[in-house]
Amino acid sequence: MKKKIGVYVCHCGGNISDYVDIEKVKDAVRDEADVFLVKNTLFACADSSQKMMEEDIKTQGLDAMVVASCSPKLHLNTFRGVAQRAGLNPYNYVQVNIREQDSWAHSDNPAGATEKAIQLVKAGIARAKESEALTSMKIATTNAVAVIGAGVGGMRTALGLADMGTEVYLIEKSFFVGGRTAQWGSVAPTNDRGDVLTAGLFNEIQKRSNIKLFTGAELIEKTGSVGNFDIKVKIHPRGFDGTATADDIQKAVKACPVSTTDEFNFGLTQRTAILTPQKGQYPQQPAIDKALCNQCGACQKINSAFQPASTNEEILTLHIGGFVANTGFDPYEPAKGEYGYGEIDNVITLPQLKRLIELNDNELVFKGKKVKKIAYIYCVGSRQDDDEGKNKYCSRYCCTSATHTGVTVKNKYKDILNYHFNRGIRTYGKAELIYGQASQQGDVFLQFTLDSIPQVERKHNKTYVKVKDILTAGKTIETDADLVVLVTGMVPRENVKLGHLLKIPEGRDHFFNEIHMKLKPVETVIDGVMIAGTSQAPKNILETLNSSMAAAAKVNSVLTKGELSLEPTLAKVNPGACTWCGKCAEACPFDAIVQVDNEGKMVAKVNESNCKGCGMCTPVCPTDAIDLDGFTNAQIGAMIDALAEL
Amino acid sequence: MALIQPDLTKELKKYGAFDFNACYNCGTCTSVCTLSTEDNSFPREMVRYSVLGLEDDLKSSLKPWLCYYCGQCTENCPQEASPGELMMSLRRWLTAKYDWTGLSGLFYKSWPLTVLGFILILAAELGFAARLHFHIDRIMYYGHYFEMFSILGVFTIILLPNIIRMWYFTILKRKIKAPIKAYYTAISDLVVHMFTQKRSLDCDDNQFRWFEHFILVIGYLSLLFTTVFLNWFETHNLFINILGYVESIVIFVVTFDFVNSRIKKNKEMNKFSQPSDWFFVIWLFLMGVTAFVVRLFIDLNLIETNSWAYLFHLMILGQWALIIVPFGKWTHFLYRSFGMYFAKIEELAK
Repeated sequence: MKKKIGVYVCHCGGNISDYVDIEKVKDAVRDEADVFLVKNTLFACADSSQKMMEEDIKTQGLDAMVVASCSPKLHLNTFRGVAQRAGLNPYNYVQVNIREQDSWAHSDNPAGATEKAIQLVKAGIARAKESEALTSMKIATTNAVAVIGAGVGGMRTALGLADMGTEVYLIEKSFFVGGRTAQWGSVAPTNDRGDVLTAGLFNEIQKRSNIKLFTGAELIEKTGSVGNFDIKVKIHPRGFDGTATADDIQKAVKACPVSTTDEFNFGLTQRTAILTPQKGQYPQQPAIDKALCNQCGACQKINSAFQPASTNEEILTLHIGGFVANTGFDPYEPAKGEYGYGEIDNVITLPQLKRLIELNDNELVFKGKKVKKIAYIYCVGSRQDDDEGKNKYCSRYCCTSATHTGVTVKNKYKDILNYHFNRGIRTYGKAELIYGQASQQGDVFLQFTLDSIPQVERKHNKTYVKVKDILTAGKTIETDADLVVLVTGMVPRENVKLGHLLKIPEGRDHFFNEIHMKLKPVETVIDGVMIAGTSQAPKNILETLNSSMAAAAKVNSVLTKGELSLEPTLAKVNPGACTWCGKCAEACPFDAIVQVDNEGKMVAKVNESNCKGCGMCTPVCPTDAIDLDGFTNAQIGAMIDALAEL
Repeated sequence: MALIQPDLTKELKKYGAFDFNACYNCGTCTSVCTLSTEDNSFPREMVRYSVLGLEDDLKSSLKPWLCYYCGQCTENCPQEASPGELMMSLRRWLTAKYDWTGLSGLFYKSWPLTVLGFILILAAELGFAARLHFHIDRIMYYGHYFEMFSILGVFTIILLPNIIRMWYFTILKRKIKAPIKAYYTAISDLVVHMFTQKRSLDCDDNQFRWFEHFILVIGYLSLLFTTVFLNWFETHNLFINILGYVESIVIFVVTFDFVNSRIKKNKEMNKFSQPSDWFFVIWLFLMGVTAFVVRLFIDLNLIETNSWAYLFHLMILGQWALIIVPFGKWTHFLYRSFGMYFAKIEELAK
C-alpha cells in the first residue's frame, strides 16, 4: 500500500480546463487518504512540469504518482520516464485520462465533466495505492531468422539479414526459388525481365555462407517465443540426386508417360511429372512431382540421377529468434463464366497473356490463331461489390501491368490493337508515363462502372466485347477481339497451415495483417514474426522489396542486441490456489500457459516470453489463482470501489 | 451501338490529324473553347469519336463546321493531342465524304495526284491555245466563256449534289424533323455566315484575322463578279477597271499575309499546313497577282507581245476552278455556311 501519493491535474492549455473545473477536482481529492500533495499544471508534459514532478518525488519522497491528463497512448511513457528518472518505479505511476474520455467527450456539460473527472482521479488514486513496483525481465535471444518464401521478396529479406550478420534459413515450398517474378518477362516500369531479377538475387544468395536455402521445404512445427523459437522443417525428396546432361533431362521429360497442366504457364501448356527449372528458377536442377509420378521408372533408366522412388524425407530441427513470412500471392482465378472465362476459349487472364508473350517470339498466336486485337477487362477480382465477391481492395499492380503489357505486345509484334476496358486508370507514380505511352501508341481506353460491366459474347464465330462507355456519354461501344484478357487482381496464397502455425492474424481480405499499416507496417501482434511482400496486401515488385527490406531491418533490430526486455505486466499463477482446470490455457490466445508439475500437483505456469499481458486468463479462473501484474484484482477492485462511491 | 473501327482512326491521320489518341478525356479542350455550348459541345466529343473510329457519328455531325480553329484547345491540351488540328482534319475528311465523285478524298490524301491534275489542266490549256495558234484575242474570248461555264458546271454537277448529300447525312439520316418554315427562317443565318463568318468573331483575340478573312472573301467574290459578269479584262468603264485593280490587290495582299503566317507558323492554326492548305492560299494569291498583271498589260498595250501572262493566268484559273473549287479547300466556304444553316434548322426543329 502506497502512503505518499502525488496527484497532478493538467489543464492541457484549455483542452481540459475549459470544461473541467480543475480547482474543484483538486479540492475533491486533496483529502483522500494517502494523498500527499495535489498540484495543477498548465501542461504536465512540458519540460518545466516534468522537472517539478521529479523534484517533488525526490524531495518529498513520493511513493506513487497520478497524472490526470490525456490518453496514456500519448504520454504514459513520458511520465513513466519522469518516475524512473526520479528513482520511482515506473509501474507506481498511474495515468488518468480526463481529456479524450472526459473534457472532449462532454464539452456540452462542464458540471458533469467535472464530476466525472473527480471520480476518475479518485479511481486512479485507488489504483496507485495498490500499485506494485515491477521490473522488466531480460531474455537472451538467438540471432537467426527463418524467412518463409523465396520469391524476390524473401530472397531480398534473406540477403538484407545476412549482410547484417544474421543467420538465415530460407525456406521455399516449391522445388525452385523465384516465385511469381520468375514467371514474368518484361516488368513495369523499367522493362527489366522478371527472370533476370530472380537470377541476380539467387547468385547473391549463393555468395553468402550465412544463408541456408531449403527448397521443397515446409515449416511443420513451431514452439517458443520471440528470440527463441524451435522449429521443425520438413524437406520433401527432390527425386533427383547427381548430375544429368541437358540432353538426358530432355529425354527423361519425353519418356515420362504422365502429364498435367503446367502451373508455370498458368495452364497454357502441359508438363510431365519431371519438373524442369524454367528461366529464372533455381537451382537449375530437375525435380520430380511426387503427386503426379506413377513410379514407372522410365526416367531412371535414362539417367540414374532421377530417383522417382526416393522417399528420404528429412526433418530439420532449427533454433531461431524470429520469422519473416514472405509468402506472396496467387493471381485471382475468375469464376467460370465471369466475362466468359472458361466458356469462351479466347478469354484468358493477364498472367496467362504474360506467359503467352514469353512463349511466342515472332508473332502472337493463341490456339493456332494470329492475334491482332486484344481487349483487356480491368479490375477482375478487385474492387468487387457485394454481389460479386469479397475482394473490395484495389490490387495496385494491375493497371500498370496491363498498360505496360499493351506497350510490350505492340513493340514486340506487328499490328496489334489494344482496347482497355477499365474503371479508371490508376497507373500511379512513375507508371503514369506508361499510360501516356500506351495512349500515344494508339491504345484505346474505354471506361465503365460496376453498374454496367462489359459483356463478352460469342457471335458470328467471333468474340465481342461491348460496354456502355462513360467517356462516350454512355454510348454502347463494341469491338471484336482475338483475345479477351481479364486483368486479374491478387489474392493471398493458400496458406492456412502456415497462418495457423505462426498465428499471424488475417484481415477480412485474408491477407496477413500488420499491427499498424503506417507506423508498424511489417510487424505482427506476434512478437518476432514479421510479414512482408504480397502476403500482406497487393503490391508491385518495388513495394514488395521495400517491405521485405523493412522486415529484415525490423527483425534484425529485435535480435541483434542478443537480449530482449519484456513488459513486466504479465500473468502469474499462485500455485497454491491453482487446481489445473485448464480454463486459463484455453482462454490464452498466445499459448503462453502450460501445465507443470509443482511438487506433485499439476498447476498452470505462464511462459513469460509468450505472455502479452492481455488478461484473458484472469476472469476465467474459478479459484482466483491467476493474476495480472500491473492490473491486479486488488487494483481493479479498488478502482471499481472508488468509482462506485458517490 | 457502335463498332470500334481502327481503320477510320488510321484514315483520319491521312487527312492531317495526329496524336489525338493521346487524349485522356479530361475535357479541357471543350471547356476552353469559346464556341462550344451545352447543346453543341466540342471538340472532346469529336476526339472521342475519332479515337474509336465511329464513322456514322462523325459523318452526321455538324460540329467540325462550328469550329473556327482559334487553337485554344491545342494550346491547353495537357496531353498535347492537338484537338484543333483534329477538327481541321475532320473538316477535310467530311468534305471528302460529302463529295459524291470521291475525288476530294484522293486529292486531300495525295498531293502528287493534285499536281498531276494541275499538269493535265496545263496540257489541255496549251493544247487548246495551240489549236487557236496562240492568238491572244481568241484565247481571251474563250477564256471568258470558260469562266462562266466552269462556274455553272462545277456548281450544278459537283457542289449542289454534295450539299444535298451533306443535308442527307446531317439532317435526314439523323431523323431531324424540321418544319419547312425552319428552312426558310434559317436562310438569314446562311447568308450572314456565308458572307461575314460572324461566328469566328467569338473566338478569342480574333478581330484582325476575322477582318482579313472578311475582306478577302468580299474581295474574291467581287473580283469573280467583276471579271465574269462585268468582263473586267475587256471593259472600257473606268470605274469597273479601277474596281478590278483594287479587288485583285486586296486578294494578293491578304493571301500574301496568309502564306507568310503559314511559313512563320506564328499562330496555332498555321502550324500544321497540309498541301491542300498551301495550294489554296498560293493559288488564290497567284490569281490576284496574275489578274492584276494581265489587266495592267492590257492597259499598257503589252498583252499582245506578252500572251504568256494571260496563259499563266488562265492556267491558274483552270486549276482553281476545276480542282481547288470543287474538290479542294475552297468548299469550306460553302460547307461552313451550310453547317451553320443546318445547325440552325436543327435548333429550330427542337
